[in-house]
Amino acid sequence: MSTSHQPPNEPLPEGVTLREHTYDGIQEYDQRLPNWWLFTFYGAILITLIYWFSWYDADVMRTDEASLEHAMQQIEAERLKSVGKLTDDAFWAMSKNQQLLAEGKAVYTTNCVVCHLPNLRGKEQGGIGESLANNTWLYGATPMDIYKVVMDGSPNKASGMQSWSGVLGPEKVSRVVAYVLSHHQADAQKQATLSSQ
Amino acid sequence: MAKNTPNLESVTTINRDGSRYFLFPADVDGKFALMRRIVGILLIGFYLLLPWIPVNGYPAVFLDIINRRFHLFGITIVAQDLWLLFFLITGVAFFLFYITAFLGRVWCGWACPQTVYLDQVYRRIERWIDGDAPARRKLADAPLSTNKVVRRVIKHGLYILSSTLIVHLFLSYFISIPQLWDWMRTSPAENWGAFLFVIASTLVLYGNFAWFREQLCLIICPYGRIQSALIDDHTVNVAYDEKRGEPRGKIHKGEATSTLGDCVDCHRCVQVCPTGIDIRQGLQLECIACTACIDACDDIMDKVNRPRGLIRYASSSALAGGKTRFIRPRTLLYTGLLLLGMGVCGVAVSGVKSVEATILRMVGMPYYVTTDTIRNQYQVRLINKTTEPVHFSIHAERGPAGMQFTGFDADQSLGAMAEETRTVIATVPRSNYQGPFEVEVEITLRETGLVIERSIDFLGPDPKLLQAHDSTPKQDDDHDEKKSDHAHGN
Repeated sequence: MSTSHQPPNEPLPEGVTLREHTYDGIQEYDQRLPNWWLFTFYGAILITLIYWFSWYDADVMRTDEASLEHAMQQIEAERLKSVGKLTDDAFWAMSKNQQLLAEGKAVYTTNCVVCHLPNLRGKEQGGIGESLANNTWLYGATPMDIYKVVMDGSPNKASGMQSWSGVLGPEKVSRVVAYVLSHHQADAQKQATLSSQ
Repeated sequence: MAKNTPNLESVTTINRDGSRYFLFPADVDGKFALMRRIVGILLIGFYLLLPWIPVNGYPAVFLDIINRRFHLFGITIVAQDLWLLFFLITGVAFFLFYITAFLGRVWCGWACPQTVYLDQVYRRIERWIDGDAPARRKLADAPLSTNKVVRRVIKHGLYILSSTLIVHLFLSYFISIPQLWDWMRTSPAENWGAFLFVIASTLVLYGNFAWFREQLCLIICPYGRIQSALIDDHTVNVAYDEKRGEPRGKIHKGEATSTLGDCVDCHRCVQVCPTGIDIRQGLQLECIACTACIDACDDIMDKVNRPRGLIRYASSSALAGGKTRFIRPRTLLYTGLLLLGMGVCGVAVSGVKSVEATILRMVGMPYYVTTDTIRNQYQVRLINKTTEPVHFSIHAERGPAGMQFTGFDADQSLGAMAEETRTVIATVPRSNYQGPFEVEVEITLRETGLVIERSIDFLGPDPKLLQAHDSTPKQDDDHDEKKSDHAHGN
């Protein structure tokens, strides 16, 4: 767009020089880059050296694999924290807490009720899922056993009980297990454990 | 240091040894300076006030990254709708091209945050503390003195204050004002990420506006580099009327000036230029179309009783004596593409609903064959993007006789901003099963009557194989079912 106002034979401004080489009659100016630009360039080289050294020689920085491992452990730690320390006793205590039961019931009604029925009786009353109200437990009767089945799904893949850990997460699963346990007594449950073994 | 004279071969602000040549652009008053000040202050006010104005219960702009919900002028966009950003980003870039074809780099001079904040905030502070251009140059060249130190401390203090204000308000776009206020009153250690962000960004802004300034436009910003490709002879730019101005020359009292043009070679346009060019050498990539030279030249023309507009908004064609054509192949093509893009964007945005529903097959086997039914398991995922609870009713078209859905009749209410799943089981009696089929499901939002249509596949085994299996001797069949029944888990 800009029209040159400088005839080709007019002298160049003071300090501006042309490089000697010519390609197809085209010449280029020989001018300095701005110093601040050069500093960023040298800075980048310096950082590369520091980075290289700390990565490959000094063992200061974590490798990608190690930082992934670290991040995964952090997620796991957060998860465990949000669930609290799960034990059979903790589950029995949760099954007496009205607020946790209300949360558990809400999860039960939206996700489990379809197969296990509102009264938990399942197959006993024509439902699809196993009855959660009687004392027969196919994969272990302790609260932690039940928790494991809900989290990972039924060991019998043909049953249709999927793994819920991805859908609900450990916190909601623990609530819903507490809700199921609220229909049972700890002592009778221990009896059930014995009978299944 | 010797004064650098603008030329087409080199950049004025870079000395021959690569060091920086600092400019002291003179103040300018006039029609354009006033309009730019009004536009600039409105823009700054707009940006700074956005997070304070509530629309539908949220700030006008609240990009809630933590909860992955983006509130824009009353519309809530969730992470699933983020693909719409494509339209925003390409739209902004294309609109810049579009406007450039007509009006050149009008964005740079009037709306770019770099120019707006620099001219309306930082240069104003500088003018206020250090005085006009000659005074600033004098102060810069002066040796250290109490006066200089005091002025420098006040000026840079105000620069840092302005920078940190801008950064805080920028941060509030992402965390909202109440949250920002909360964080500001707690120890930096509690939100050290945000604290570091604010410190680093303040330093970057301060460095940019106090020291870097026009270097960003000249060397970092790519816009100037591509302007030659975006404009043509009919694009209106800030331009010097060479035909009228040349040959330039000073007015000498009593002399006949008829041989000279209108340019009195006063260098006022060069003195006011914030990027250090001489607009009389034609359009250059350094020009940010800030119009300072227009005001400066008009002022001089008034003083020497010559008509205004020796430097003005004009196209190359108009300067050559022709007409400026706004309708030309380039602008027609750009308009067509712009309308097309806006149309597609409109369709895409109107498809964004305040609630979302998807139906997916549950993890595990695709279907389950039991004693008398074939069963499919689904999960309905409901997302409510509004701040009110909503209620759904779900209706499915029936398949073969005896087909049953369990779960659709359940309570389908969803709290404000909630995202939940529901389990749905579909069963078909074995005797009526004729092979896999599709079912249309209508999910109706009770509040607005919005209907979301989804189709689900009901899967099952090849009906011929099933029949063949069913017709095998009864003994075997019973045995099989007992086995599978026994294996059923909880």
